[in-house]
Amino acid sequence: MGNVSLTASSDRVNLAAEPLLRRPSTIKRLMRSPSAIIGLVIVVSLVLVAIFAPLIAPYDPIKQSFRIQLQPPSIGHPFGTDEFGRDILSRVLYGARWALFVGLLADSIALVLGVTLGLLAGYFGGKTDGVISLLTDVMLAFPYLLLAMIVVAVLGPGITNAMIAIGIVYIPQYTRLVRGTVMSIREKEFVEAARCIGLSPFRIIVRHTLPNCVAPIIVMATLAIGWAIVETAGLSFLGLGAQPPTPEWGAMLASGRNYMLSAWWIATFPGLAIVVVVVGFNILGDGLRDALDPYLSHR
Amino acid sequence: MQKRLIVLLSLLVVLVMALSAYAAPAPAAETQAGGEEAAAPASAAAEEGEKILVVALGADPTSLDPESVMNNESGFVMSTIFDGLTKYNKGTSEPGPGLAESWEVSEDGTEYTFKLREGVKFHDGTDFNADAALAELDRVINPDNPYYVYNQEGVHSFATFTWGLVTGTEKIDDYTIKITLSEPHAPFLASIAMVWSGMMSPAAVEKYGFDVNYNPVGTGPFKFVEWVRNDHITLEANPDYWGGAPKVDKLIFRVVPESSVRLLKLEQGEVDILADVNPEDYTRIEENADLTLLRQPGLTVNGLTMPFEAEPFTDVRVRQALNYAVNKDEMNEFLYKNAAITAATGMPPILMGYPKDLEPYPYDPEKARELLAEAGYPDGFDFTLLCYENPRGYNPVGIKMAVAIQEYLAEVGVNLKLETLEWGAFLATRRSADNQDMGMVGWSGDNGDPDNFLYEMFSTDMIPVGNTSHYSNPELDDILITARTVTDPEERAKLYEQAATIIHDDAPWLFVNHTLQVRATRANVDGFALNPLQMFWYMEDVDLK
Repeated sequence: MGNVSLTASSDRVNLAAEPLLRRPSTIKRLMRSPSAIIGLVIVVSLVLVAIFAPLIAPYDPIKQSFRIQLQPPSIGHPFGTDEFGRDILSRVLYGARWALFVGLLADSIALVLGVTLGLLAGYFGGKTDGVISLLTDVMLAFPYLLLAMIVVAVLGPGITNAMIAIGIVYIPQYTRLVRGTVMSIREKEFVEAARCIGLSPFRIIVRHTLPNCVAPIIVMATLAIGWAIVETAGLSFLGLGAQPPTPEWGAMLASGRNYMLSAWWIATFPGLAIVVVVVGFNILGDGLRDALDPYLSHR
Repeated sequence: MQKRLIVLLSLLVVLVMALSAYAAPAPAAETQAGGEEAAAPASAAAEEGEKILVVALGADPTSLDPESVMNNESGFVMSTIFDGLTKYNKGTSEPGPGLAESWEVSEDGTEYTFKLREGVKFHDGTDFNADAALAELDRVINPDNPYYVYNQEGVHSFATFTWGLVTGTEKIDDYTIKITLSEPHAPFLASIAMVWSGMMSPAAVEKYGFDVNYNPVGTGPFKFVEWVRNDHITLEANPDYWGGAPKVDKLIFRVVPESSVRLLKLEQGEVDILADVNPEDYTRIEENADLTLLRQPGLTVNGLTMPFEAEPFTDVRVRQALNYAVNKDEMNEFLYKNAAITAATGMPPILMGYPKDLEPYPYDPEKARELLAEAGYPDGFDFTLLCYENPRGYNPVGIKMAVAIQEYLAEVGVNLKLETLEWGAFLATRRSADNQDMGMVGWSGDNGDPDNFLYEMFSTDMIPVGNTSHYSNPELDDILITARTVTDPEERAKLYEQAATIIHDDAPWLFVNHTLQVRATRANVDGFALNPLQMFWYMEDVDLK
């Protein structure tokens, strides 16, 4: 990892004088990968569905009408109805809002805190690094879901707390990533030069080391949105996340599982939605990694 | 391109697997473990000719000491391990002889002399006699006893309910005891037949202390073998049972939280009896010739509590408004699949003393809005509702009841925020003195007496554990306390009619329904009978054909 980042950062530094040459090639590279395009299409669709859910959804997602309960998929209700007679399609569409909201927010929490800690640990090293790395290692030693459940147990159940919990759980991922990158460039001549002309550590971190971590952070952030969506759905499935009647995919899966034998559509469609969205973020993340930095490519 | 497609597809498969692993660790593990373990005893059974009866529970019991627990799952298991002094006659809520063969009641109704059954031994070999019975009573009435049941943290006990009026116990001879009450107490003989009055071996209490909670030793048809938390409890037949040796060799209570998994296990023969059945599955069970669906009017009540001391529920109009706002008949039809009748008050209509002309609050959202407006809440209000998730005997749809009510109430502007807790945490929170949330609530009759519903859940004395709405009405308290001491059945019935009507009018609960008792068995399960109290009594008569 260290070696690779080293090459990556020097590459970035060398090309810094010719940004115009580099940027189009990144997008072009992204566009050359069909899987990345599929990922991009899925993610853009998710965003659009989330924004326009009230316009697209044929019914109110929480309005119950017992008289049409448990209807199989039909023209009127393409995904069928659940035990309360609620339209599953509408619930899945509204669920996109929660998925996106949850993914972005949890990811932002992890990103802001994780990157900050990583920059500090990587730049200052020594005791600062020791303490931060120790904390990071302790957190990484726990299974994600278990750690998230502990956080929810402390904060109380609910979708907001679930998001915070997932955000906290992913902090160490960013910290590790950024710390490694920063450590590899800390001793570079341009950083040394900045230090010599008397720039403050804050300025050096923000102006000289952070920009060199941007590529891996973008990749990480994209992938982590997908993970955060799955983890939050997992918490909701366990009854620790979204509370009824919120049309959240994990919660829908949970309540639909009692009907797997008699009404498969209740759990199937939200389950598919989670799979598609998470695959979308993952392949987009992979594509971005390849496109942003050819040297990072595993191919 | 094809290569990419394959990569993409395998990615999809991996993700689906990862997702199911993340999302459903418990059921996945459950199925696997259950499958393996169930397979093992089955083959063992074939070799040794052992008959193993498996009962599926929806949740793990919390403790197995009858005197220090009050929830159904614990009761289900304990009813096969313990006997009380009296015992309900099969299939009824009438108390008959149990560990006491006969008894005499003094003229004034305060002295009970019990003639104990001779030759009965606890599972650990201790003799059951007057000393053993008195040692057990001491544990529930004497605060100086080192193992006094209330000396445990967070204990929920029927001890006060059952034995609270006992002022003295006396050994007449080795097999005769006398119990003196401070005043006549009509439900006494029924109460001491409850599973919560089971007799624990004094030697076991000596040996384990409060850990008898997890090492139960009784005199019942089955002996405790092991308890693997959240998985199963194994019991073996007590061949010396005074009521006749059990027909099966082992009885296993298996915890299966998922109702669909429970049904699959029943269909595949991994379990023989379902303690709770998901209403969605009634038809599927009835259509399967290998399975039997059993129903009986239930001794249950089901609803939501409204915190009596918290705004806006201090106003009776608000409490009534919520009762008008919910379409309970529709819920019974579509959610409970017609296995429930709408409730008007806090006790089921099959009990003595139920006021015959009492009608449930009709569905009338207009009226609800009017009442809310009169009370000063024309736009409604927001409130938190504490919920449990899993089905209960008195509420086979679990949290779906709350979801349905949430939507009806939203129509009149009352917005509930549902907060789901796992069962143990739910009970602890709802039964704490300072909790001011609404809560899902329900009750399955314990002794077949109206006292067990109305006094338990609506008298000031029972705040906060039994009476979780913290409802308090001195007039009602007087009636309920008088009704406990009156021995004339007709007079008692009149008092309970009054009490039930007051509770209806005061509406401390959002009364929802009385569910039927429904259980399912494999068709080869023979001799299994429901009883109004839901417990698993007379399991010694059950055989596998």
